[in-house]
Amino acid sequence: MMTLKIALRNIFRHKARSVITLSTIVFGCVALIFIGGYFEDIFTQLRESYIRSQVGHIQIFKKGFNENGKADPYLYFLEDDQQIKAEIQAFPEVKSIAARLNFSGLISTGETTIVFLGQGLEPQYEQTVPQQETRDLRAFKKTSKSGSPVISFGQGLVEEDQRQVILGQGLAQTMGAQIGSTITLLTNTVYGSTNAMDMNVKGVFYTSAKDYDEMFLRLPLKTAQKLLNTSSVGSWVVWLNKTEDTDKVYNSLRAMIKQKNLNLELRRWEDLADFYNKTVAMFNKFYLIMRIVTGIIVVLGIFNTLNMAVMERISEIGTLMALGVRRSGVMKLFLLEGLVLGTVGGLLGVVAGMIVVSLVSSVGITMPPPPGASISWLSTPKIIPSVVTSTFVLSVVVGGFSALFPAYKASRLQITTALRYR
Amino acid sequence: MSLVQISKVSRKYQLNSISVTALKNVDLAVAAGEFLALAGPSGSGKTTLLNIMGCIDKPTTGEVLFDNTQTASLSSDQLSDLRAEKISFVFQNFNLFPVLTAVENVEYALFLKKMTADQRRKKAEAALDLMGLLHLAGHKPLEMSGGQQQRVAIARAIVREPLLILADEPTANLDHKTGEEIVDLMKASNRQNKTTFIFSTHDQKVIDRADRVVRIWDGEIVSA
Repeated sequence: MMTLKIALRNIFRHKARSVITLSTIVFGCVALIFIGGYFEDIFTQLRESYIRSQVGHIQIFKKGFNENGKADPYLYFLEDDQQIKAEIQAFPEVKSIAARLNFSGLISTGETTIVFLGQGLEPQYEQTVPQQETRDLRAFKKTSKSGSPVISFGQGLVEEDQRQVILGQGLAQTMGAQIGSTITLLTNTVYGSTNAMDMNVKGVFYTSAKDYDEMFLRLPLKTAQKLLNTSSVGSWVVWLNKTEDTDKVYNSLRAMIKQKNLNLELRRWEDLADFYNKTVAMFNKFYLIMRIVTGIIVVLGIFNTLNMAVMERISEIGTLMALGVRRSGVMKLFLLEGLVLGTVGGLLGVVAGMIVVSLVSSVGITMPPPPGASISWLSTPKIIPSVVTSTFVLSVVVGGFSALFPAYKASRLQITTALRYR
Repeated sequence: MSLVQISKVSRKYQLNSISVTALKNVDLAVAAGEFLALAGPSGSGKTTLLNIMGCIDKPTTGEVLFDNTQTASLSSDQLSDLRAEKISFVFQNFNLFPVLTAVENVEYALFLKKMTADQRRKKAEAALDLMGLLHLAGHKPLEMSGGQQQRVAIARAIVREPLLILADEPTANLDHKTGEEIVDLMKASNRQNKTTFIFSTHDQKVIDRADRVVRIWDGEIVSA
């Protein structure tokens, strides 16, 4: 206790200097907590946007689809078994399950004909049902199910629709299609013959992925099945109430497939989210570099303070050793001062960091669309407990580390030289 | 029986390329309970001799026997423990810790002894009381006069009841009257507790109060 008391009092002996050092630590902590929370928000929004607008949490395919399905997808179509779907729907974590049928073909307005990727879906079960556009990003964030597609013109699909189609914004622009105009979809049936169908453009949507919007259109599942002349579906998409339950449900589904010996295979959203995974890896690398830079700044700040303290207190160090304090005891005293600086700075820093994140989050930062996307988004940085804890631990560890050299230097002083020093 | 026995002790320093001999073949025996003055002009080697007897410096040649222990063979930690247990210092510039109050400065000397905080506080207050400074227990050194600071330093030295207290020019930074009071306090402690005191000085009035005077000149003892 005595050593701690001395360490604390020595730190506040030169108030201005200690305040500057503590400010360095506090700013470092605030920066790390804010950037950590900001990145986490990016990850969450990107992830939820990808899940809600495209892939769902878990996709269920016929066994072998992911390995061989690209070459011949029709061979790996699923029977749309309503009983199994109902069993999956009964999982408490599952919000909904819907069938999808992906296919490709040509889209024509008579004047223009291009390739499209089509998605037959069940609007009544889909959790990627487009929302009406709003310019209020905060309201949009609350109502858009975190990234569901947005209807920019016209209306979205409903269960009763048959010959209605909604087009991705880029696709609609390329085609010069208007709401209400008729387009023709041309594709091969599962038996290899060609089939065509006239469709009515009901709406135009956009998602967070510009590439997706330039290629995709959506239509009712039954219409897609008619076009392809099949009663099967391509996959089932499962949405959960919470993304955090993905692994739990994935494992339960695997067990169910094994137990019932079903000819199915599963993919989690992260297995399909290559862009998301790479983005997270890249941002995490940025964050690591930022931590190292912040750590170095804090090390230099504390090192400077303690080094000056050693120079100013040489005579005191001599007195301590003359009184019988071992060299290790002197070292402990200065290490403790570094640790106390790191601890006090870290505590103030995490409190300030959480306040800053809360304030910024309450206002939000409007961000431009990221590369490959078409939607501006509202960033609301989050307080991440693991980031707060690791920032505090980093501050304490760096405090101790910064004190190592000054503490060693102090402990190596010759007593007689130190006592003579003025 | 000697508390400190110094035999053929020399101490040389290297100042850049110049070798300075601070002590030359010094022999000295100090018995337990003595009140001894080391007298000599500045630069005569008084401080070096005190440092060697106080085990904070080692001789270049010669032997030091402290309380029947050969100090040359002791490690840095063993010497620290020896000082913590048996030796106290009083310095010319008082060397109190400015961040601690008077009573905390005295308590700090007991910090290395196995003692409860309560016991430490009681002993520290008793030592301050002996110095007539209990009313300044909560004051920091910079709020006290030089004489008061030196009395706190003496309280810090005596509180752990050492075998030996070494005082290097304890009155040099004090006015004459205060200096005499300080020497009287040291002498009272010597008489009461039988603590051995060795102090260096070149003030004749202070020298006159010592029981024994060892005169040192140019690194050599000229009269003991």
